[in-house]
Amino acid sequence: MRYLLLLIFVCAFFGLALEITLEPVEPEALGSWAQVSLPLRLYPTLPRTVHYEGPELVTKLFGEIALGEAEYAILLGVSAQNEVALWVDFDGDGRLTAAEGLKGTRITGGRSWSFVLRAVPKGAEPYDYPLTVLWPEGRGYVFLVGGAPRRGFFQGHQIVLVDGDLSGVFGTKGDFLGVDVDGDGKIHANLDGHEYFALSEAFTLGEESLKVREISGDGRRIWLERTAYVPPKVPLIPGSPAPDFSFRDFLSGRELSLGNFRGKVVLLDFWATWCPPCMASLPGLKEIYEEFHAQGFEIVGVSLDESAEDLRRVLSERGISWPVAFEGKRWDNSVAALYRVYQIPTSYLLDKNGMIRYRDLEGEELRRAVAELLGESTAEAAPSEILVLPALPVKAEPILEVQVPPEAGVRRGEETPLFVRVVNTSPYLAEEVRFSVRDLPPGIEAKVPELFNIPAFGERTVRLVFSAKEVDPQVFPVSVRLSVEYHYCIAEACFQMVQEAKTALVLGAAAPGFALPWWILVLLALGVLATWFLAGRTLSIFSLALCVLALAALGFGVYLGQARQAQRIGAVLCTSCVGIEEARAPKAELSPALREAFASLPGPAHLVLFYTAWCRSCPYAKALVEEVSLANPRILVEMVDAEAQRERAEKAGVIVSGRVVVPAILVQETGKVLFGTEDLAARLLSALKEIP
Amino acid sequence: MRQRYLRRGTQGLGIFLGLLGITGIGMTHVIFPGLHCYACPLSATVCPIGLLQNLVIAGTAPFYLLGVLAVYGIFLGRGWCGWFCPFGTVNDLFSWRKVRFHKAFSPLKFLVLLGTVFAAWRLADTWFCKLCPAASLTASLPYFAMGLAQPTRPFFIHMGTLAATLIGMTLVARFWCRYLCPMGAILALFNRVSLFGLGFNQKKCTSCGLCLRACPMGIDPRSEVNSTNCIKCGECSSACPQGALSLGFSLPGARGYAPLRFPWPRSRANRVPSGK
Repeated sequence: MRYLLLLIFVCAFFGLALEITLEPVEPEALGSWAQVSLPLRLYPTLPRTVHYEGPELVTKLFGEIALGEAEYAILLGVSAQNEVALWVDFDGDGRLTAAEGLKGTRITGGRSWSFVLRAVPKGAEPYDYPLTVLWPEGRGYVFLVGGAPRRGFFQGHQIVLVDGDLSGVFGTKGDFLGVDVDGDGKIHANLDGHEYFALSEAFTLGEESLKVREISGDGRRIWLERTAYVPPKVPLIPGSPAPDFSFRDFLSGRELSLGNFRGKVVLLDFWATWCPPCMASLPGLKEIYEEFHAQGFEIVGVSLDESAEDLRRVLSERGISWPVAFEGKRWDNSVAALYRVYQIPTSYLLDKNGMIRYRDLEGEELRRAVAELLGESTAEAAPSEILVLPALPVKAEPILEVQVPPEAGVRRGEETPLFVRVVNTSPYLAEEVRFSVRDLPPGIEAKVPELFNIPAFGERTVRLVFSAKEVDPQVFPVSVRLSVEYHYCIAEACFQMVQEAKTALVLGAAAPGFALPWWILVLLALGVLATWFLAGRTLSIFSLALCVLALAALGFGVYLGQARQAQRIGAVLCTSCVGIEEARAPKAELSPALREAFASLPGPAHLVLFYTAWCRSCPYAKALVEEVSLANPRILVEMVDAEAQRERAEKAGVIVSGRVVVPAILVQETGKVLFGTEDLAARLLSALKEIP
Repeated sequence: MRQRYLRRGTQGLGIFLGLLGITGIGMTHVIFPGLHCYACPLSATVCPIGLLQNLVIAGTAPFYLLGVLAVYGIFLGRGWCGWFCPFGTVNDLFSWRKVRFHKAFSPLKFLVLLGTVFAAWRLADTWFCKLCPAASLTASLPYFAMGLAQPTRPFFIHMGTLAATLIGMTLVARFWCRYLCPMGAILALFNRVSLFGLGFNQKKCTSCGLCLRACPMGIDPRSEVNSTNCIKCGECSSACPQGALSLGFSLPGARGYAPLRFPWPRSRANRVPSGK
């Protein structure tokens, strides 16, 4: 009976699901979207042992490529003659032999190697996986370019499956489909393209909507199922009509719509005041606007800002008079959603008929295009020339790893710190990282740190403080969400990301409503004062009573862990606190000469900064190493709380006569430790130069 | 004389315990009953004034610290200054000129204590440590020798306060203990109620004035036994040929004549006339 049911189930599954067979396809035949590139960080060593058998190398950087269950070590080596080569452990035996070395080809600003590895997805057939490794010269990371696109046909429409996370397994998070919905033989599957579909997204062919039911791990087969009708995505390619929308002009308050500008050439510009490339392009836009406005050129700005004040200030400072749509919702802006904007700056140039004609033009190109479109008569509707800029090779993905303890104890009437580690896993600068806490029950407040940046591959431990005033013990344990918001820019494209992490708040171990016995201290103080007016037996009695009070205070202090606290304060020496050296402001700026000197270091180097929460000069030292790592991405920076990881600090030698000294910087390669902040930048530079 | 040797012995013990870190024991949970920088490379105990500032900055209710200080205070009072404190011992080494007490500056140490707490509270920084001559001597100088401290402004400030204190000590015996020590100010509050103290038998006193000359703190032991400025060193009782002054452990009420003293002498009115 059981087998019969199973058989019926299997038949039903495969009967209803529509199976498509997919074959590997050359990505060049599809377009730039069919490949993705992801950064891969390289290290001086690997967690597992890999033997290198080859000529002497000056620089060795290891990395690991995982394709399903197969893992391939790679080694990027630079010889004394400055020859660069890549070794790939094709046979997976843990030895990199001369036969596994690849010369590669020189490209602008770096090198590239192309090869084929064998992907081994779990529970599926192994298959060949073409990959390209791009090395931006001198950097401590490479880009992996690939995606192993596979193509099949369904009712005459092309369907392409791409391994978007380069995991070697199809059907995992980040993988996507490109479907030739309109049947024109060309697939527009850039991230904002109308033929790009995440695996969970339904697509519509004619009247029928379909979505993926299952994908075999090797990507050879895919099963689709019919689903409720979903309207197709509006194409945003040159030659298609720009979707209309209405908005309230930020400055004048007028209700406008894109349709109002029919008969004019319109630049639809998505921007924000926090986006440096957008701000840089403003003067150029203003110039073109002033030149062509009288002839019928209009700009419609769509601001993805949150703060109306910031926007108003920038508009008035820059003297911008064109209409701006502003909702204060950042990326949840309805117009940005309509145009599927995922990066800024993004702009569309529309002709007098409201058709999209160009994308992302700037400067002289934009001026020429505007002049050309103004010269066209409204009757001439057919698009003349279609220009599409190549899609961005790197997919916008979260770049931070947020590590939160699973739970935090909150005590009534007290402040509870929660330490969150944020690691930047990318070679890009995470800017203006902002923390916020959601789903807080009433009575609990959270203090979040101020905005900060995290350099490439850097990390930072931030301190959130929960304070509970009047809380209902019934609500505990309660789950709260930490939301981390930031943006980052790759060359000229900026992305904003919001990541979330969860933690549970539990009522702290100390009994709720447990008030500190302040009266002990008050009585002690009053008793001591009273003794100045007493004599004889009364004084003796007071003396003994005070002794009891003092012992009670001492015992209670020990119970509260204050003896341990005293020991900790004594055991960590913060050099600026006791006046061994100057306390410094938390800002550190490198002089241009020093920045240049740091940037020209060959690297790679790994710096570990030891700090404590109360150390006065540690913020300065942190800011300085962050600056250094910004100046030279080959220098990796790790921040370690010396108090929490005392053993590590001791092992690293960040200890002087039994005291951990903060701030201290360990140069991992040489084991040299730099204490204090005096002349720190110059000392750090010379310490880094000592690395062989 | 025997008492003085005993005192030199306990002062030596104070120095030894201050430098206990030499045994490799590491930082302990013990609060030092004197002024001794916990940043000193060889210290194994926590400086009470340094800890006090840190607790004020951190906003911790200082049960442990105040409890320990009160126990110390009720046990010896300012006897710690005279018998134990290593920085007091340094003061002793320089006390050649036992000039009479300059009363006007006496409450300064209480102001230093209040200022230390206030600076920690309002400026959130350990300002006393940056000026403290004990830290200059036991932290700044050793770290300078070890190459950790550089000859920069904070180092020069420390050297300046150390030099000023040393000059003060040579001009006025126990200069630091008399006028500036915040730890002395805390212990002074307990001086009257402590189990260790001076007793004065007025009947035996011949007003010869020898005790006045012997006192390193420059007070009049007859009228100011156990006042805030008495460090209970026992120099006066050793000097007294009549045995009118005695030093030892007793219940504070059982020391016989103990005139009421405010933290500082208020007027000449309750001063016992000197032998001149």
